[in-house]
Amino acid sequence: MITPSGLAETLLWGVANGGIYILLATGLNLIFGVMKLVNFAHGQLLMVGAFVAYETTTIAGLNPYASILVSMGAVALIGMALEKFAFRKVRGTEKLNEIFISLGLIYIFQNGATLFWDKNNYNIRIPSPLAGLNLTLGEVTLGYDRILSMVIVVVILIGLVLLTRKTKIGLAMRATSQKSDASMLMGININRVHLFTFAIGAALAGAAGALYGILFSFNPAIGALPTIKAFAIIILGGLGSVPGAVIGGLLYGIAENTAVYLLGGIWQDAIAFALLIIVLVIRPTGLFGEKGE
Amino acid sequence: MKMNRRILAAIVVVIIVIAAFVAMWQLNLFAPAPSAEARNIKMGIVAGMQTVEGQDIERAARLAIDEINAQGGIWVEEWHTNVKIDLVLVDTVDDAAGSTAGPVTRAITDQNVDILIGGATTGGTLTGQIPAITNRVPFIITGASLNLVTRRGSLPEGNPLRYNDTEGMSYMFHYCTTIQDYSQTVADFLAESVKPKLDSQFTFDTARKLRLAILYRDDGYGRGVRDITSTIIQTDNLPIDIVANVSYAPTATTYQSQLISIKDSNPDSVYIAGFTADTAEAIKEGINDVGLKSLYIAVEICEDPQFYSLLSETGTFQILESKIATQWQGETWYLPKVGTYVEDYKQKFDGKIPGMLGADTYDAVYITKNAIERAGTLNKTKVRDAIENTNIPQSLLIMENERIAFSTGSNYHEILPKTFIEQLIWNPTPAPGALKPYVVYPASMPGISSFKQADFSLPPDYEPGSP
Repeated sequence: MITPSGLAETLLWGVANGGIYILLATGLNLIFGVMKLVNFAHGQLLMVGAFVAYETTTIAGLNPYASILVSMGAVALIGMALEKFAFRKVRGTEKLNEIFISLGLIYIFQNGATLFWDKNNYNIRIPSPLAGLNLTLGEVTLGYDRILSMVIVVVILIGLVLLTRKTKIGLAMRATSQKSDASMLMGININRVHLFTFAIGAALAGAAGALYGILFSFNPAIGALPTIKAFAIIILGGLGSVPGAVIGGLLYGIAENTAVYLLGGIWQDAIAFALLIIVLVIRPTGLFGEKGE
Repeated sequence: MKMNRRILAAIVVVIIVIAAFVAMWQLNLFAPAPSAEARNIKMGIVAGMQTVEGQDIERAARLAIDEINAQGGIWVEEWHTNVKIDLVLVDTVDDAAGSTAGPVTRAITDQNVDILIGGATTGGTLTGQIPAITNRVPFIITGASLNLVTRRGSLPEGNPLRYNDTEGMSYMFHYCTTIQDYSQTVADFLAESVKPKLDSQFTFDTARKLRLAILYRDDGYGRGVRDITSTIIQTDNLPIDIVANVSYAPTATTYQSQLISIKDSNPDSVYIAGFTADTAEAIKEGINDVGLKSLYIAVEICEDPQFYSLLSETGTFQILESKIATQWQGETWYLPKVGTYVEDYKQKFDGKIPGMLGADTYDAVYITKNAIERAGTLNKTKVRDAIENTNIPQSLLIMENERIAFSTGSNYHEILPKTFIEQLIWNPTPAPGALKPYVVYPASMPGISSFKQADFSLPPDYEPGSP
């Protein structure tokens, strides 16, 4: 049975879920745009972010929304270590080297998380003081956790825009993304820019992970599917385009939720990827992509 | 006098000879010497060790095997001796369909197991049983909710699961409850307990049918529960309307859109055909996120400590169908054997509470012991025949006639188990609190005259479906 209120709820939930995809895809896109690096282990950073937020909430007693900051910081540090000690070592060599490093990292993160956090394969969820509290507008119900998560995504995105538009490092990032060699000749420290870019991308994944852990249950294996979705979103929105990742994430979240509501659970991923194919057939560069990017 | 002494001496000699004979008899000195061929029994335990269920299977098997070995092992007549059991772990990792055939094949060909016990998922067992069928190794399957694992020989031509090897299939035994068993219990409970409660509490017309929504995994197991529940309701003419059938992908981690769809159908109750983690998550999302304040029913797969901890306080007053109450709350256990099993398991494994698949496995190890002792040999065909003729008192699972016996008719090598309904109640003390199960249906069971512990109640914030 399809009702207007049910459809409205599904759309709102799609937007909320899309927020998590936006953060993940934006981080991935940032790293790709500046460093031309395809990190297949980006979803594993989301998973680590979720576990960090869980630990800081349950053990340290921090509010789960405050733990987002801890998660962002911790995953940013991990990202910096990855860039410095893994990806930088193979920069300029065959692209396959980067790809295999990121594929290897998937297993290292997943098995490491199983070893440290989840020997029993239990699904866990970050306890939120807002759990079970809903805003009801007529027959439409939306949890406060979801509303707050949407607000947090918007705040983080505004912060990201300010960072890239109003700071020197942001300018350097944009310059490097356009012409890496010329930027270096102009005195920009490429290593520093790459390190910072990877840290920001990882921090966004950490925030996405913390929000994911508040809204959904998770385990060490959750990273794989969000990575694929994030790739689909950045292709949908246009490679290297942050507005594209935002619109793509929203479309993806709404598409998969309405597909489940209207057609059934089995269509969840199929419809979302069908949307991707349709967009690529009509506009091969994605919604916001430009030729040559 | 001289004569009397001789008689006395003769009597003494006879007594000494008889005493010596008796002593030698007692010391088994007349028994044939143990055969040089005697060796330990290799028992392959099929368990996906990456899963909670697999770990439970392995622990339960180890408990039973250690108990039997501590008592001297299993008497094998043809070797004139007791032999011990070696546990051969057949680790099927995640017990998925693609993970089982390799480990089972290696256990048969490389380690020469005498018998296989275990298996959890239907998909994994359907592929894992093939090497056992082709190599004629007895396999007591203690998981797999679909009875396809025993009936695939009789599937119609063209069905990809059909396995046309009657002789090989005769080595398969299913010691587990199936979707038929638990859907029947759930349907009866809804008709006999939930509907009358709804009618009286909300003054519904008695002609109004109970509105049931089914949320199921989109795989063979989930679709099986959906179909069999519908069939039972129709066949038994139960006063239940299925108002929603909503599926979710087995890979899904959130069920909110499905629950919104279910909410739109205004159900009185939501029957979830899922595994432990997805069922707990769906109930929590339904109550906390979607605001669907209904009566949720979980199936016995969820009779696992993980389910209780995942569901936590949100699960209070919700329903769990079960076949073994490992967290029984009565002062004395409903079956003494269950109490002993649970306490021994907890003691041996650092206080861990057993799950329900381990209970099947524990029983299966003892069924094997009994069969080998009757067969008097490890010859696989004779062991198969002995298992087929099993007729022993019920152990951890409750049986329809209180005895464990495998069917030999059209439903080949299956058992007749009984299941029951528990209502979960949050107990805040001792801190941090815990969910506790109480049997609410039925009132009695075979061999247990007074089984029900409490009357069924609707959750305090329960909202019924549309009138």
